[in-house]
Formats: sequence, structure tokens, C-alpha cells
Amino acid sequence: MTVRRIFLGAIFAAFFFQTAWAALTFPVLTGRVIDEAGIISKTTNQTLDQILHDFETRSGNQVVVVTLRSLQGTSIEDYGYQLGRHWGIGHKGKDNGVMLVVAPQEHKVRIEVGYGLEGILTDARSSSIIHNSILPAFRAGHIESGVVQGVKEIVSVFSAGDSLPSTNSEFEGQKISSLETDASLPFKEAIIATIVLVLIFGVYLVSVFFPRPVLSNRGEGTGDDPNIPGGFDGDEGSGGSFGGGGASGRWY
Amino acid sequence: MSQFSRYWWIIALAIITLFVAGGINSIPTLEQSVQASWSQVENNYQRRMDLIPNLVETVKGYAKFEKQTLTDVVNARANATKITISADQLSNSAAVHQFEQVQSELSSALTRLMAVSERYPDLKANQGFLALQSQLEGTENRIAVARKDYIESVKQYNTVVTTFPGRIWAWIYGAQQKQTFKAAEGADKTPAVKL
Repeated sequence: MTVRRIFLGAIFAAFFFQTAWAALTFPVLTGRVIDEAGIISKTTNQTLDQILHDFETRSGNQVVVVTLRSLQGTSIEDYGYQLGRHWGIGHKGKDNGVMLVVAPQEHKVRIEVGYGLEGILTDARSSSIIHNSILPAFRAGHIESGVVQGVKEIVSVFSAGDSLPSTNSEFEGQKISSLETDASLPFKEAIIATIVLVLIFGVYLVSVFFPRPVLSNRGEGTGDDPNIPGGFDGDEGSGGSFGGGGASGRWY
Repeated sequence: MSQFSRYWWIIALAIITLFVAGGINSIPTLEQSVQASWSQVENNYQRRMDLIPNLVETVKGYAKFEKQTLTDVVNARANATKITISADQLSNSAAVHQFEQVQSELSSALTRLMAVSERYPDLKANQGFLALQSQLEGTENRIAVARKDYIESVKQYNTVVTTFPGRIWAWIYGAQQKQTFKAAEGADKTPAVKL
């Protein structure tokens, strides 16, 4: 019973801290295509979902498509990486997530690339996909086909003979992923110390003194469920993080 | 007599709280977080500096009349490479401000360079230039994200180090407040300016 109370207390504190930090609201992650703006038809949605599901099964990378009703006054770059971190797209440690973010109201589009994939889906390639494939379709009024084309091109970047990101440990070096893991160890020790204290004191006072360091993964997924490829089981990704890599574009 | 024993129990609780919950573990953890986020800031600024030689060469080929702008970028970059900060200097506000200053000057020089490039259609159509431009934009975005992460991690660290009971542990550890960044860098968004 005390263990659950610690757990709840830590969750409460972490949630409080998280909502205090991020003033933006994010749509719920319901699957691989989150059409908040309501611009994607059912058939297209299914097509995209199939492509993305297959891609994740083959490569292990998580790609999602999200259309937004509004950017809430911020830039698509600022919104994008926070959304990616909030959802935890990509696998923890590998950070192999990609998001195609479309904001029809502001006429902005962005390919947000996780830390681990920046070496393959480079900024230049993302920019090229946006300017050569996506924007021309968008400008002609064909948003859906622009999205589908963009997704196909993103997926094809990975099968064009490049080695899969899981073997590219050199790109991991660009991010301090080892420190990320280390930061979670002291935290676990802190939980043990907390359990000791809880026998004497209340849970909530203690959770105030153990803040989560910034670079630990937010939105940690519930782990990889073997029955659902990629760990997409409900409303969380698999704990991947983002650092602002990718490219954006706008159409008029 | 029963009041006295109750009183002692509270003191014992207070001592235990101070001892275990007062930052014995959170200060090193948060310090690690600050250093990790600082590393990320440095990596991204370095990445930007690595892009510049190619960029200057490419622009030079098309924009022969922009010597001053190009020279400014080269000089600003040279100044920026001279100022580096090691993780243990992060409490030194003068050092951190100086670092910010040179990077900010480099940002301004780059903004001017990209603005000038807009006037040369041949340059804008060059695939190499477009690739560099997108890499530069990506890097500027990464810098912005890394700065935000750093500011946040410093805020968490400073809060523990300056409030009770973390202050006591800060004194024991000899931990000082870290210097945060002053404000969002003026040119931290995409430097491609539309004329």
C-alpha cells in the first residue's frame, strides 16, 4: 500500500511539474495519424496508418502524422519538439521518432526528427521533402496527397540503402544519451531513500524534494508490448525524445 | 512530561527530513542535468560554427560584391571559437555572458549574410546553398531548444540550491548558483530573412 502511495505521490509531483512547465496543450495520442484539424479522410487515414505501421515493424522507427487545429500562438518549431517529447515518439534511448506536423490554420508544415535519426533524415533531406514534394501539393490545394507523399518520402529515406538507425551508434553520440540513463539511476536511489522516509513522514512533502531533471524522458511509454508492434498501446509512444532537428515550410 | 516527549519527536522528524530530503541526492543529480544540457548547447553552437566555412565559400562564389558581410561572418566565427566554457565555469556569470555575447554577434553576422543572399537568384537556386541553408536553420532551431533546456535545468538547480533545506546541502557541497542565459537570443530563429 505504501509503495502505491509513493508511486502516486511521485506521479502527482511529476505531473504537476510537467504541466507547470509546458503551457501548451497537446492532442491525445490515439494512434499513428492524429487528425486534430480534421483534414484527412478515413481512407487516407487507413492508408497512412498501414504505411507507418509496416515501417515501424520493419525498421523499429516510429513515425506519426499530426494535423493541428492551432499552434496556440507559438512557432511550429517550438510546438513540434515539445509535442514529440510529450508523446514520447520513438523508443527511449534510441530516440528514433519522426513527426510530420501540419498546421493548416497557420499554413505551416514541419518534419520533426528525433535525436537518433538526425544522421539519416538530415535537415537537408527533410527540407528537400518539404519543398519538393509537400509544399507543391499543398499550394495546389491537395493537402491529403501532400501528406501521403511526404510520408512515403520520409519512409523511403530509410530504405535507400542506409543502414538502420539501431546500428548507427555514432549518431547517438550527438546526444548525451548515456547521461540520460545515468540521471535515472540516482533517481531510483532516491526512491529507495524516499521509501525509508515514508515510514516516518508523508509522501507528498518528499516528492517536492526530488524534482525530475530536465533531460530525463518525459512521457515514458508503458514499455514495448510484444502484442502491439512498437509499443503503441493506447496514448503513449515509447519514450523517445527530440532536440529540434528537422525542417519546416510554409504555404500560402 | 508528555508534551516534552512529543516535542522531541518533532525535532527528530525535522532532522531526518533535513538529512534525507534536503538535497543530498538532488543537487548532484540536478548538477548533472545542468552539465548535460550545457553540453548540448555547446555541441549545437559548435555545429553551427562547423557549417560556416562551407557557407562562406558557397556564397563567395555567387555574391562577389558582399566582401564586408562575408568578412564579418568569418571574424565573428573566429571570435566565437576563442571563447569556450567548461562545465565548472557555469557559476561564473561574466564567463557565461561573454560566451553569449560572441555567439550573439555571430548570429547577427549570419542573419545579415542570409539576408544578403536573398538578392542573388543564382545562389538561391544552388542545391549546395539550399542544403547549407536548411542545415543552418536546423542548427539554429537546435540551439534554441538546447538553450531552453539549459535555462530550465539551471532554474531547477538554482531553486534547490537557494531554498531551504537545499541551501544547507549547497553549503556543504560548496555548490553555487549557475548562471542562466539572459534572454532568448535575438536571432535564434531561422536566420533567413525575407526582404
